Amino acid sequence: MDGFKKRLRDSVQLRLSVTLSLAILIVAVLAGIFAFVSALDEAHEMQDDTLRQVAVLFDRQQMSLRYPASREVDGDNEESRVIVQYLADGSKAIGNDDTLIPLPFPTTLADGLSTLKVTGEDFRVLVRTTARGERIVVAQETGVRNKEARESAWRSLLPFLILFPVLLLAVSDLVRKLFRPIAALSADIDRRDEQALHPIDEHHLPTEIRPFVVAINRLLARVAQSMENQRRFVADAAHELRSPMTALSLQAERLAATEMPALARERLLPLSQGIERGRNLIDQLLTLAAAQSSSNRPQTAVSVHDIYRRVLEDLLPLAERKHIDIGVESIEDVHVFINEMDLLILIRNLVDNAIRYTPHGGRIDLAVERVQETAILLIKDSGPGIPSEEHTRVFDPFYRSLGTNEAGSGLGLSIVKAIADRTGAEVRLGFCDPERKRGLCVLVCLKTGQC
Amino acid sequence: MRILLVEDDPMIGDATQGALNDASYATDWVKNGFTALATLDTQHYDLVLLDLGLPGMDGLDVLDSIRGRDNPVPLLIITARDDLGDRLRGLDGGADDYLLKPFDMAELLARIRAVLRRKGGTALSVLDNGVVSLDLISKQATTLENRDIQLSSREFALLQALMIRPGAILSRSELEDRIYGWGNEVESNAVEFLIHSLRRKLGGHIIKNVRGMGWMVSKSV
Repeated sequence: MDGFKKRLRDSVQLRLSVTLSLAILIVAVLAGIFAFVSALDEAHEMQDDTLRQVAVLFDRQQMSLRYPASREVDGDNEESRVIVQYLADGSKAIGNDDTLIPLPFPTTLADGLSTLKVTGEDFRVLVRTTARGERIVVAQETGVRNKEARESAWRSLLPFLILFPVLLLAVSDLVRKLFRPIAALSADIDRRDEQALHPIDEHHLPTEIRPFVVAINRLLARVAQSMENQRRFVADAAHELRSPMTALSLQAERLAATEMPALARERLLPLSQGIERGRNLIDQLLTLAAAQSSSNRPQTAVSVHDIYRRVLEDLLPLAERKHIDIGVESIEDVHVFINEMDLLILIRNLVDNAIRYTPHGGRIDLAVERVQETAILLIKDSGPGIPSEEHTRVFDPFYRSLGTNEAGSGLGLSIVKAIADRTGAEVRLGFCDPERKRGLCVLVCLKTGQC
Repeated sequence: MRILLVEDDPMIGDATQGALNDASYATDWVKNGFTALATLDTQHYDLVLLDLGLPGMDGLDVLDSIRGRDNPVPLLIITARDDLGDRLRGLDGGADDYLLKPFDMAELLARIRAVLRRKGGTALSVLDNGVVSLDLISKQATTLENRDIQLSSREFALLQALMIRPGAILSRSELEDRIYGWGNEVESNAVEFLIHSLRRKLGGHIIKNVRGMGWMVSKSV
């Protein structure tokens, strides 16, 4: 019950439905009682009228009474029959049998209507003094009168009994329909990814919630603006770092070309490597900023094998330096509908990662296969793999797994995720050898789309 | 060879000028577009290295002015701007090449040589990647160990296909296309057979196999 109260307090829809239903119920009950009572009265009134008309008829036509000898007359019904007798004959009544006329009414009755108990039954009794001075009694058993009156009263309730459920259904349906735009709107917003900050269309919404949506749109605009500012800052900062980094690396290159003692040359190597790492970091920062920006890029049908080939042409020197056997396993090519640069950057970062974390003399396999409308790209290496508890965190910028000595930028998988989010690709991580928990296996699912 | 360097960043300018001097190019360094245009009017240069982010007058405007005066001097853009629009405007505006910061000096020097060679109109008669060179006229290959190795015409065609763009991976069908003319029956294993014999003549490390993709020669160093 408490749960229901809480729901009632929290849900406008429920509150509206319940309140309207209660109001309808109360009105229906009150109107029903009123209709029932007045219909009952009306019926009694009409029956009394009938008694009066019989008395008037008797009087006007100056009838005289003869009591039937036999008890049964065709078409007579003891329950509903109307009895006419002289008031004075009440004393001549034989015993306590209500089927025999005259009935033992008290002879002292005054003119007018009354209800009496005679021979163990209730009677409605009209006493009238005729023009000839005779006093007559017109009577009918109340049992049948009440039954008929009740029946007619119940019939008067019928419209309410039909109307009540119909109204309830109509109200709950109306309330649900009124709230449908809100439910649709929230489902719509819920389906958005984190990059989708475009305003909500407010034109088909009821005026009552439009101000709310307008306020949310303003908030979305501010959030989009601040995200854009942040992205721009990262891009600008990385951009500005390019010039000093270029100068540094040029000077280091010049220095390497001069005559110098072996010790100095030995110390120049880590310096150059540090500069190289800085340059790499700046490049990756710019790539990440570009991957996160939501500008529209032209999409075409792209051959996955062609992308693999270009990535291998780029990264083969790195792999050769570590004597890694890198190659493509799939024979059939698959085309996907995507921006070519997006896919190239995504695959390059995954392969670059694989080369970094695969030990000397290891092996990296690339493959692609088509399963119905989905292209599945696989990048498998013989490195240590990533434990499943780190699978979500490795996509965070600058996150590094424990115990890795690699001097990567820490941005590769963030770039992969940014591109995957924007292009609707799905990236899954796993072990190539699940039993020994070795070897990273990256699975990229892409829609082949309009290829 | 005289080179004009237009660069406003003192550190990069200094380093680039020094490296160019080391490579035996006479280099003049100016720091803005106006001085660059004035210098080009009075002095002949074999090549211009132009930065885009210049104070006062943007590099792309400097480029327009140079080409507007019908000056055909070979021109190479060096910039930190990497969006496609700028790159296209630079190349369409008459630049001969486009190099993105940060760059390696070795790459800059290679691009300078390439631009000068293209502008000089001398067709290349030798393909070279630093490990092996292929003479297109005598159809002989030279490695670090051996000189003037004679090749069969199909061996030559295959090696030439790989040497045109060192570092590029060519698939079996692409190599077959280069070796056989249209309508010629392709023999199975012909590519493997030719590569085997080329490796025997030149050494095993010259042509590399990339599993599942094809073959390549190393990128020029």
